[in-house]
Amino acid sequence: MATKRPLGLWIAAAAGYAFLYAPLAIVVVYSFNDSRLNAEWVGFTLDWYDKLFHDQDMLTAAGNSLVIALTASAVSTVLGTMAGLALYRYQTRLLQVLVLAPIAIPEILMGVSLLIFFVFLDFTLGLVSVTLAHITFCIGFVAIVVRARLAGMDESLTEAARDCGASPWEAFRYVTLPLIMPGVIAGALMAFTLSIDDFVITFFTAGAGTVTLPLQIYSMIKIAVTPEVNAVSSLLMLLTLALIIIAAKVSPTLLRSQEGSAP
Amino acid sequence: MAARTVTRVGRWLVSGPPLLYLVVFFAIPSLIMVLASFRTPGEFGGLAPLVEEGRVDLNLDSYLRFFSESVYAQIFVKSVWYALATTLLCLALAYPLAALIARSPKRYRDLLLLLVILPFWSNFLIRVYAWMIVLGPNAALAKTVNAVFTWFGHVEPVPLLFSSFAVLVCLVYVHLPFMVLPLYANLEKHDQALLDAAQDLGANAWQRFWRITFPLSLPGVYAGAALVFIPALGIFAIPDILGGPENSLIGNVIKQQFLETRDWPFGSVLSIVLTVAALLLAGLAAWVARHNLGTPSSVREARA
Amino acid sequence: MKRLLLALLASLLVAAPALAKDVFHLYNWNNYIAPETIKRFEDFCKCEVVQTYYSDNEELLAKLAAGAKGYDMLVPTSNAVSTLIKGKQLKPIDKSPLPNLKNIDPRYLNTPFDPDNKYSVPYAMSTTIIGYNDVKMKELGLPTDTWAVIFEPRYLEKVKGRITVLDSADELFAAALKYLGYSANDVDEKHWKEAANVIKKSRPYWAAFNASSYIKELTVGNIWLVHGYSNDIFQANLDAQAAKRPFHILQGMPKEGAVLAVDNMVMHKDAPRPDLALKFMNFMLEGKNSAELTNLIGSGNPNTDAVKYIKPEILKNPAIFPDKAVAAKLEQLKDFTGAQRRLRNRMWTEIKAGR
Repeated sequence: MATKRPLGLWIAAAAGYAFLYAPLAIVVVYSFNDSRLNAEWVGFTLDWYDKLFHDQDMLTAAGNSLVIALTASAVSTVLGTMAGLALYRYQTRLLQVLVLAPIAIPEILMGVSLLIFFVFLDFTLGLVSVTLAHITFCIGFVAIVVRARLAGMDESLTEAARDCGASPWEAFRYVTLPLIMPGVIAGALMAFTLSIDDFVITFFTAGAGTVTLPLQIYSMIKIAVTPEVNAVSSLLMLLTLALIIIAAKVSPTLLRSQEGSAP
Repeated sequence: MAARTVTRVGRWLVSGPPLLYLVVFFAIPSLIMVLASFRTPGEFGGLAPLVEEGRVDLNLDSYLRFFSESVYAQIFVKSVWYALATTLLCLALAYPLAALIARSPKRYRDLLLLLVILPFWSNFLIRVYAWMIVLGPNAALAKTVNAVFTWFGHVEPVPLLFSSFAVLVCLVYVHLPFMVLPLYANLEKHDQALLDAAQDLGANAWQRFWRITFPLSLPGVYAGAALVFIPALGIFAIPDILGGPENSLIGNVIKQQFLETRDWPFGSVLSIVLTVAALLLAGLAAWVARHNLGTPSSVREARA
Repeated sequence: MKRLLLALLASLLVAAPALAKDVFHLYNWNNYIAPETIKRFEDFCKCEVVQTYYSDNEELLAKLAAGAKGYDMLVPTSNAVSTLIKGKQLKPIDKSPLPNLKNIDPRYLNTPFDPDNKYSVPYAMSTTIIGYNDVKMKELGLPTDTWAVIFEPRYLEKVKGRITVLDSADELFAAALKYLGYSANDVDEKHWKEAANVIKKSRPYWAAFNASSYIKELTVGNIWLVHGYSNDIFQANLDAQAAKRPFHILQGMPKEGAVLAVDNMVMHKDAPRPDLALKFMNFMLEGKNSAELTNLIGSGNPNTDAVKYIKPEILKNPAIFPDKAVAAKLEQLKDFTGAQRRLRNRMWTEIKAGR
């Protein structure tokens, strides 16, 4: 239901969007910059996009990042929603700590400890080890958002459903889930963002030959972060946006945010 | 009773999988590093062997070092200030955004939300580099700021880049979506009817916000604050790339332990102190939230 | 949604198993080998080269210390090689399939950290020197052949906020020690305190401690003077010319001396394909292949056979190919003991904390 949006709100929000997009505009515009440097505008060219499509390393890295991010965000959204529910309903102490701690702990420590752990288990480092690591730190973000969404929610609706004969799963699927869906989506978006941009943990848990986009780009930091990186960033954003729009069209009932309602 | 068993089973079904996952992939690896904080650094990096000549080599050296050399505590406090500032600025910037999206017609909400997070699917480094361009000494912003300062008599050029200002701006930028999303998730369920009723009773816009919207949104505020403050405490890349000579934060010091000094036990100690401090602060905030210290009595009654 | 998940899992499982082909895993600095060289090697050995990158020796060391494996060849700097040898992380080199080893200048062989080159073979070199904007330095009348220009306030005043130094305790302390007339590898605590004071006095004039974006800032013209690596400064100049800036970025070799970094090819002890690693080593010891890197990034070259393939303007550059007098003042950094590292880190943290 659309509610009143006063002019002051519009202006403040517009300022927020401007702040978000000013650097992004530079990123996209400079992907067409006819200069090796990412520093000032020289002229227009499509060379960098051309270079990108011939750069097997960069494309593989981008592909890996996408696959890892999609998998990690999917799994961590499921686990994180469960954790959020558990935190809200049962207030399990242990879970509270285990959910918050990965967010607090410095990434280097988590990366090194996971590496030692994987080596100890003789687990081959590769895409899977990176994905497992990403899921670990994403769960917390989803859980916290879902819990915040649940706060103040009226359990009587769920109880009523159970009284009418719904199984726990049905009560969740048809009553609770639609009500918390905006929280779940918000959590999933955060998890995806965290995964696709992670550097430190990925650095330590990637195998010899596993490259993700952040790893590839950070290694260029010394020589020059050329507009090719701007190009791949711009394309990745577009691609992700397209994927999400497609997913929304394919499963509309699942992703449509239900009308939130305070009872 | 069947119902109670079902509830217990339900409880384990819901909390079990995430608990199991986090115990295996987080708790156990972390215990390795907690143990490491009591060990001695290896002579060539890594850790010295745990069992040396039949004796277990555990000590408190690294902890003592943290508490005796005050420079580490000093940097730690500085990082807390930066994280706090980042959180408050994020809140101020994110609230209008989240409110606008939450109140928009349903068909636009998801799109507006996506627009907030879209910039963050580009690479982190490239976004920071973009800020270097915006804040560079020859760019429009710096020239304008310096012109204003000169007009007021301060002639020496004020650097925007490689300064605390640059670090703070970038910190806020990088953490903004993690404040917007939880706030939105909460604001989305606010009932306009409450606000309409309040307006009918004579409340003006500020009163409607401060006495109804804001208290109801507190869970979202706390969630966002947690998701901004806690990660911001440990950040190191931003000061590395656009910080000045005195903008080193605790995250940088921790990174140095692993990637320069090769003192893993000390790095562990610093990390543990950081994590414990962050969890304590989060716990404190949760306690405050639980006891509704920020909620006016009228809303508490309305909720009941 | 379920179908999407299954598709993702399937793609992960398919991508996981490696292709059954000869694969050579090279863990190297980024842009530290010309793409043409890689291609030629792949044709020569009929194998696939998979490169992963690191941007600092310490990243390499940290990862290996935590147990990572799967790499055939690494390219660490000498002091890191010393650490790896002592930590028993390297495989000894069988020199019989390396006939091209004779091409290396004997000055760079048989070093104190790897006598008899049991584990390492020199690959390329760089120095840590001064980089500057020639137009600005001339305008301000500043010297460019001494460390004094980054450590003395009478010079620093003129470039306040326009100079950066490396964000590396080892490099900056080495430069300060050299400036004070000591050896870069001096471990006397008193001398370290003197160096720390020199650094603290100059710190207010420096724009930043920066090891990553300083090249860009130099090329764009925001920064006029840097303490940096010779390869980076060479690159900055190429970029500046390509961007048609009205200045050159030049390398200044300080007369007090500087740090020399020799990067070496080594084999990891768990290398899956040591045979390919040896093939690669011999291939890179050929003058032609070695010269390609120098021509690309302006790195120093220990290979005598490479001289005839290197561009003449690079050969003439005294910062890349120093004459005997200057070469005598260059020092390679030695690794510290644990206690020394901790002391250095405390001093460095104080410097970075603004104390």
